[in-house]
Amino acid sequence: METLVHNLIASGAFGKNASPSMVAAIVVFIMSAVVFLGVAFPFAGIVSWAERRVWARIQSRVGPNRVGPQGFLQWLADGVKHVCKEDIIPDESDAPLFKMAPYLVMLAFTLPWAVMPFSSSLILADLNVGILYMTSVTALTVVGVLMAGWASNDKWSLIGGIRSAAQIVSYEIPAGLSIFPVVLMTGTLSMQGIIRAQGWAPQHWFLFANPFTFVAANILYISALAEGNRTPFDLPEAESELVAGFATEYSGMRYLFFFMAEWGNLFIIGAIIATLFLGGWQFPHVTKNVVAMNILQAITFNVKVLFLVFVSMWIRATLPRVRIDQLMTLCWKYFVPISFVNMIGTAVWVAIWPDGNSLMGYIMLAGAIALAAVFTQRVIYYLRRSRMEVYFNPTI
Amino acid sequence: MSTLHTEEMTLNMGPQHPSTHGVLRFVVRADGEVMREAIPDVGYLHRSIEKIAEKVGYHGFMPYTDRVDYVCAMFTNQGWGMACEKLANIEVPHRGEYCRVIAAEFNRIASHLLSVGAMAMDIGAVTPFTHAIREREMINDLIEELCGARLTFNYMRIGGVAWDLPPGWREKALAYLDHFDPILEEYNALISWNKIYIERLANVGVITPAEAINYNLVGPNLRACGIKWDIRKDIPYSVYPEFEFDVPIGDGHWGKLGDSMDRYVVRIREMAESSKILRQALHKIPGGPVLAKVARNFKPPKGECQIRLESGRGDMGWYVVSDGTGYPWRVHVRTGSFAAMGIIQKLSAGLMIADLVTLIASLDVIAPEIDR
Amino acid sequence: MSAVSEYVGNIKDAVTSIFEGMAVTASHFMRKPYTVQYPDRMPVRVQDTLPFRYRGILEVDLEICTGCLACERACPIDCIVIVVDKDPQTRQMLLSQFDIDIAKCMYCGLCSEPCPTGSIHHTTEFEGADYSLESLIRRFVKDPVMAYKPKKGPETDTRIAPILNRGMTYLDQWAQPGGEKPAEEEEPA
Repeated sequence: METLVHNLIASGAFGKNASPSMVAAIVVFIMSAVVFLGVAFPFAGIVSWAERRVWARIQSRVGPNRVGPQGFLQWLADGVKHVCKEDIIPDESDAPLFKMAPYLVMLAFTLPWAVMPFSSSLILADLNVGILYMTSVTALTVVGVLMAGWASNDKWSLIGGIRSAAQIVSYEIPAGLSIFPVVLMTGTLSMQGIIRAQGWAPQHWFLFANPFTFVAANILYISALAEGNRTPFDLPEAESELVAGFATEYSGMRYLFFFMAEWGNLFIIGAIIATLFLGGWQFPHVTKNVVAMNILQAITFNVKVLFLVFVSMWIRATLPRVRIDQLMTLCWKYFVPISFVNMIGTAVWVAIWPDGNSLMGYIMLAGAIALAAVFTQRVIYYLRRSRMEVYFNPTI
Repeated sequence: MSTLHTEEMTLNMGPQHPSTHGVLRFVVRADGEVMREAIPDVGYLHRSIEKIAEKVGYHGFMPYTDRVDYVCAMFTNQGWGMACEKLANIEVPHRGEYCRVIAAEFNRIASHLLSVGAMAMDIGAVTPFTHAIREREMINDLIEELCGARLTFNYMRIGGVAWDLPPGWREKALAYLDHFDPILEEYNALISWNKIYIERLANVGVITPAEAINYNLVGPNLRACGIKWDIRKDIPYSVYPEFEFDVPIGDGHWGKLGDSMDRYVVRIREMAESSKILRQALHKIPGGPVLAKVARNFKPPKGECQIRLESGRGDMGWYVVSDGTGYPWRVHVRTGSFAAMGIIQKLSAGLMIADLVTLIASLDVIAPEIDR
Repeated sequence: MSAVSEYVGNIKDAVTSIFEGMAVTASHFMRKPYTVQYPDRMPVRVQDTLPFRYRGILEVDLEICTGCLACERACPIDCIVIVVDKDPQTRQMLLSQFDIDIAKCMYCGLCSEPCPTGSIHHTTEFEGADYSLESLIRRFVKDPVMAYKPKKGPETDTRIAPILNRGMTYLDQWAQPGGEKPAEEEEPA
């Protein structure tokens, strides 16, 4: 960032007497605008279309494919429709809180983008507490959801809001505990630091570093899904019980804000896992050209995050919902003890092998490939057995 | 802590709700998540079908029986046909009985597919529903070729069936059954043996055998409590004695005996049994006529009759009183869903709201059947 | 010890069953969707893919209607209104009105069953939605026509013969009561 500011002032674009802090502020504003308006919000919209197409193929149907090429403009059409709706604020609701709640939830979605490491130099603010900032800021959704549930003056919304608050707060604990193994291995909380501690090859990723981090990665992923109110943990908006949970009384764009925050959160979940466990933007050093390397790294990061987003959609289409007491049991009786075991196990591991054990990386990678092979074999078994027509084309 | 004052909420799961099966209303008194009582309120779908019978006459009532339970309409058709035949002592030709059984068992598979699919959707999994509907669409295509309609069939007549099997239909039906059996296994692997699903269903809404008999439950609801009662075996009618099939009952393998998981698994197994019956029927079907000669203005002798048959929801009873004219004096249908509504109020004490949805779905309550 | 084994067993069950479920859904990615993209992305019109017995909107071939009123009597919902009377000059039956209210019709098929010539029959048309309730009463008689008199032998009028053929083929689909209709699939399997 400082080199960028230096280069800009040296090139004379801002005049001779430009103060570095002023130029830095302007650069930050422009970059934030690009990131938010160009990446974050469109992503939240596009992922709604992508989720519907992915779901549709899983469900043997087609999904939106009429509005624009392959239905790509469907999300814009949905957005325009919601904006045109009547803004209903229930008479007896608490109007200021009612109006503020979606913005708080959106805030929880937009703030983590400040530390999103797209590539080695494309990061808005490389805080040295990056990952801690990210997990704590995503917890702001609790305030927004509780506000929405209470201010709606509706018993169903209240139940949804309280369920959600309990869920998010509980699942912060396994999520936080699962970040510890990585922090123990790298000694730093900054996003770029964690990524730089991994290599570009899968065996150097923290996912395969030792069995404890493998389990920690899975627990972190599932806890992040629970925090984001995604199935199998989508009780607060359980469509078949509470119509739309805490968002029942909302209509129009306010309603869409809640869902944009949920869809956009998928990217954040994917980014956390990709940074911590999948090596982030790491790409083999193939060229000396800085710009080209940055572009390749950004593409790698996006590919990893989008794959995890796809897996989130796939899980949502497959699994049923858990009940609230089963959710709490899962968190407190299963995830929290296992996370503690992971933490202690990683601590012992780091004490024995401070520089990491690359042999374990290869063994774990081989195990993961074997698991993937078993999975592929089951998929082929079901394809053959059902004798339905095979069709690989994603467009139809 | 025990003197903490809490109030109970009264919630309304209104007639319009994404997960009540049809137009049902429940007044739920809940203490937070745990319910004290869920009082059902029925009658939103009442269409006076039983009274209409007195106006349209015996032949004309056949399309109306489709609307009594539109999910498995063949059984209601068969019930009306059997009731009138018993009143007037008409015998259905052998091939006609086989056609009836084939149509009815296909409809049983379709009805159970809808039931298990809707149940999975209420629990939160969205794909099993679309897969079940896709299979149901294939059965609907078959039946559309047979009788021309996909939902309200009007296939049977007093004295037999209205259309014979079209040429080539038997091969298509057998091909469909070959396709269906692996799909059922795949469906089970997707959702039935899923741990989250089992956790949601096991030990929820346990009905003891004594309670089941006292509350008049029938069909898969009754068989899930371990009671082996199936009209097709115990009071045989039509040509069912000629087929070999099992009657699946619940065994409390995943939780207690008579919980929602038992009811669900009984339905899955019944689909496999229906597939067995269909294969036997399609292979053994004899030649001959399918419709007996019945007068166009049908006037059965004075009297009353009651028949029972095993529909998708259980023991369906038809009671007809005739006064010798061409219009019945009184018609009454006894359906399984109406009885199942009675037990919901008792079972709901202590359940969570999420479990109420599971309970309603597992009892396979269909609103038009309750209210007629 | 059984608590520990139950704990571990729960985790194992959850992981294996979810693994199988994900494999099933992954296999669905590679299958052709079952959706029929009606009405524009279809090779053939839907109406032409429906089976012959499909009970769509009713139609009357007035050329072969005998004016016997069997369909009007059979309709359970009284949606057919026929006015037929004997013309005093020519001593023939004259059809002056034949209305079917397709808004009331429940597509049950009870009217086409007793028709002696198959003139009232179901088509494969199902797109009948319109903006006015009046347009849903199909009036088949523009000017009064003579009712058809079925001949003893085969029909000789070349204009009417194909229509009569079609009507009788339609009627053949229905089961003949008590008759020895030879079944196509006679062979014991």
